[in-house]
Amino acid sequence: MSQKLSDLLLALERDAVLETVKGRLGTNEDPLRVLEDCRSGMTLVGERFQRGDFFLAELILSAEIFKDAAAIIEPRLSRARADHSRGRVLVGTLMGDIHDLGKNILITLLRAHGFEVKDLGVDVPPSVAVEKVKESKAHFVGFSALITTAFPNMKQAVTLLQEAGLRGRVKVMIGGGVTTPEVRDYVGADFQTTDAMEGVAYCLKTTGGK
Amino acid sequence: MAGEGMSGTERLWAAIRLEKTDRVPIVPTLLAEPAAHLAGITRAKVAADNALALDAILQVFDDYGGWDSIYPGSYTPQQLQASNVNPMKVRIPGRDLPDDYMWQLVEEEILQPQDYDRISEMGIDGFYYQDYLGRISSLSTDDVNREILALFTTFQRFLTECQKRKVKPFFMGNGMHPFFTLSLMRSMVGFTKDLYYHPEPVERAIRRMTADLIAHQIPLTKESGLGTWLFTEERASGYFYPPAVFERFWWPYTKQVVDAFWSEGLVTIFHLDQRWDKNIPYFRQLPRGSFILELDGNTDIFAAKEVLRGHACFHGDVPAALLSVARPEDVHAYCRKLVELVGDDGGFILGSGCSVPCNVEPGNFKAMLEAGRGARG
Repeated sequence: MSQKLSDLLLALERDAVLETVKGRLGTNEDPLRVLEDCRSGMTLVGERFQRGDFFLAELILSAEIFKDAAAIIEPRLSRARADHSRGRVLVGTLMGDIHDLGKNILITLLRAHGFEVKDLGVDVPPSVAVEKVKESKAHFVGFSALITTAFPNMKQAVTLLQEAGLRGRVKVMIGGGVTTPEVRDYVGADFQTTDAMEGVAYCLKTTGGK
Repeated sequence: MAGEGMSGTERLWAAIRLEKTDRVPIVPTLLAEPAAHLAGITRAKVAADNALALDAILQVFDDYGGWDSIYPGSYTPQQLQASNVNPMKVRIPGRDLPDDYMWQLVEEEILQPQDYDRISEMGIDGFYYQDYLGRISSLSTDDVNREILALFTTFQRFLTECQKRKVKPFFMGNGMHPFFTLSLMRSMVGFTKDLYYHPEPVERAIRRMTADLIAHQIPLTKESGLGTWLFTEERASGYFYPPAVFERFWWPYTKQVVDAFWSEGLVTIFHLDQRWDKNIPYFRQLPRGSFILELDGNTDIFAAKEVLRGHACFHGDVPAALLSVARPEDVHAYCRKLVELVGDDGGFILGSGCSVPCNVEPGNFKAMLEAGRGARG
């Protein structure tokens, strides 16, 4: 049964995934187990993407299916059992940039892989992002950019994290089509990518996940 | 420049024809906002007035010693909406954003699934002006006419100013791939769902839009007398979609368009953002010399050159990150590498990857130009 749910997700069979989820919950199956089976499907999708057999389109579609399935499952999880995240991640687009496509894809993928994600939104002042890191005790903070004017604000956010004594406890990720390893060094980030799934893999690896 | 044996236009066309040149031609994609930055004008001003945008571009051209062909950039974001180029909501500095922000497009699901068949029936222009434009802007018919007139008037001055400087525009006609247009109108996520779960209406719309594009753009491009036109796609590459999607929804229509233009002797400039590495071999199917690949630094231009050596001209691809945060010597070294490895047998135009970034370091911009001026083509 669980194999079937993950296979359906891998095949991007949206209607069948949602019907299966509803059917299994209807037989009073443990909702956490159903959720984990969906996550197994996302892991398979991620593996195919990393092998080059899947493309961003399939990542997006599978994550959208997962989001719909999770919306059915999560109200049935008790509060205590819902707290099973792999880590806390803040993701935002910093001041000067209001693009949100890449940010939203990363957030959906991170959630589908079991991370608790807070969306900081777009056009976020670096000081606000740092304050949110402090409040949330996040393990990761990710800054997305489509335009190069975001780079100085990423750098400022890292400087403010250092000044607040927070830099050692949070990993800083940057991403977006205009970022490069050189920009990572300029900003002082720990990780850079133009590929959302690489960002998920970095978070998984850092937290000891698969 | 002393010692040069070819004019800018001769140099450019030799490169397009895959011939050797006296030095590599240089065409930076200097649009209004980076020009404003280099000329000391606010982004809000050039976003509101395309005559000022043209002034900024010309000022930078003159201040930095010129280059071989000027990339058209004298338009405002509102004019792009009015002329059916950017089919999205837009946020503009000085109006919706602080003066020093870039104007930016908003990703929203504006197009609805039932609209694909309306496009198939009405054609893209009919659908856009009779219905869609009202969903993304408050432009009235009078506003549209006024914006298009301003666009036309400034383009006339652009041509005159180019003549004074003995250069030509890189192109005048331009269009976006129907696939890209629909993705922008529908949002990437919504459009991707449609491609996988309800593909037939999408295919019908792309077919109609391709026919419209050919019918409208070929006469305009011929009238410009330049021999080139710009064809933009930023969301169809093998980074986004598998070969099955690419081969069904993108490649056949692309080939149809390029063949139609080439049959009139017109060269297509592909503006291709993001990673196209997996798709580059397809371009060998297009006629030799019928197109230019303008890459943004994400595709491996050196590997692409090996696949298309002697078949197509390349334009680019100094990355925006390099121009904004690196040192001039880094920019110079990268440009030299481009000239030596991509331009070694001709068929190369040095330029920025996508647009020059709007926070370009002046020293880096100068380094790019100087690297090109000192390089044999």
